[in-house]
Amino acid sequence: MDSKKEFIAVIQANAGLIYKVTRVYTNSKEDAQDLYQEIVYQLWKSFASFRQEAKITTWMYRVALNTSVTYLNKSKKKGAHVQVDEGLLNQPDATDTLQEEQLLILYAHIKNLNPVEKAIVLLYLEGKTYEEIAAITGFSVTNTGTRLSRIKQKLINQIH
Amino acid sequence: MELEEMKARWTEMSATIEKQKQITDTLIIKMTQVNYRNRLSKILIPELAGTLVSFAYCIYIIINFHKLTSWYMVVCAVIGLIILMVLPVMSLKAIYNMKSVNIAGSNYKQALLQYAKGKRQFIFVQKLSLYTGAILMLVLLPVMCQLLAGKDLFKMVKLWMWYAIAFPFFMIFAKWVYGYYMKTTRQMDSLLQELEE
Repeated sequence: MDSKKEFIAVIQANAGLIYKVTRVYTNSKEDAQDLYQEIVYQLWKSFASFRQEAKITTWMYRVALNTSVTYLNKSKKKGAHVQVDEGLLNQPDATDTLQEEQLLILYAHIKNLNPVEKAIVLLYLEGKTYEEIAAITGFSVTNTGTRLSRIKQKLINQIH
Repeated sequence: MELEEMKARWTEMSATIEKQKQITDTLIIKMTQVNYRNRLSKILIPELAGTLVSFAYCIYIIINFHKLTSWYMVVCAVIGLIILMVLPVMSLKAIYNMKSVNIAGSNYKQALLQYAKGKRQFIFVQKLSLYTGAILMLVLLPVMCQLLAGKDLFKMVKLWMWYAIAFPFFMIFAKWVYGYYMKTTRQMDSLLQELEE
């Protein structure tokens, strides 16, 4: 029972992390709901093995990103899923129209990247260091740096 | 928008999300429970149902094998049995490989590699199923007709006429499906190449 309570607290504290991964890796609200639920399920399944990990968010990003792998090439999924209807998967209320517009552009640019680039840029935007990105993705620190430079260039090309 | 500017926007958005996103205890518990049922219904049930139907056909043909009077019916039955036994097993294995990405124990690169290889194998089985499925229909129809109604369809001219009519439609369908499979295969190849860089 204690581990269940602990798990709930972890999810509640990091709900935004799961939300951002689902936003980047899905194209519809139904898929986002499905992926969100799947990530929570996978986190629950491996919660017992997490304890040795240094940082809880590193473990959560790893599980969330690995779960999103099985959602590549998927369009709207049918079937029963928990209705995450509490505004959880809606766009956060932006303070002004300009901010909202910029957010949409931001997501659009990220969604144009391939799955590897999406993961790296997401972790970079989340403020992770190259070492942390390397630990989550499995690429070397040097390779992560090289890839980020390429992503920067790709984003510049996308924008202009 | 440069990457640094994007990062600033992202941080602003994250702060907004943290303030707004609420998830209840009940919802979290529900997510783990309903999900388990989903996994069963989405993957296992349709695949297992298909395999059971295939095996049921096999058992029926094997039990009534002695009723097949001509050599060509025996050949058709043997081909049908091989396809009905091998294809579902291959399909289940490919799905298992694709779905068995080690989510908790792998890093993202390993998970992507495992998934891309599994998906390529799955697409190969799907392509194989498309053509063997057509062969299966061709061989199973006369066999079942003889076993159920005692009629030899090979001696009926109409059968060949129907086959001839259906063939162009099958080819159009096959070409369309093949195009989709090739697109996915190319995507997986490019993903694998990206991982190797």
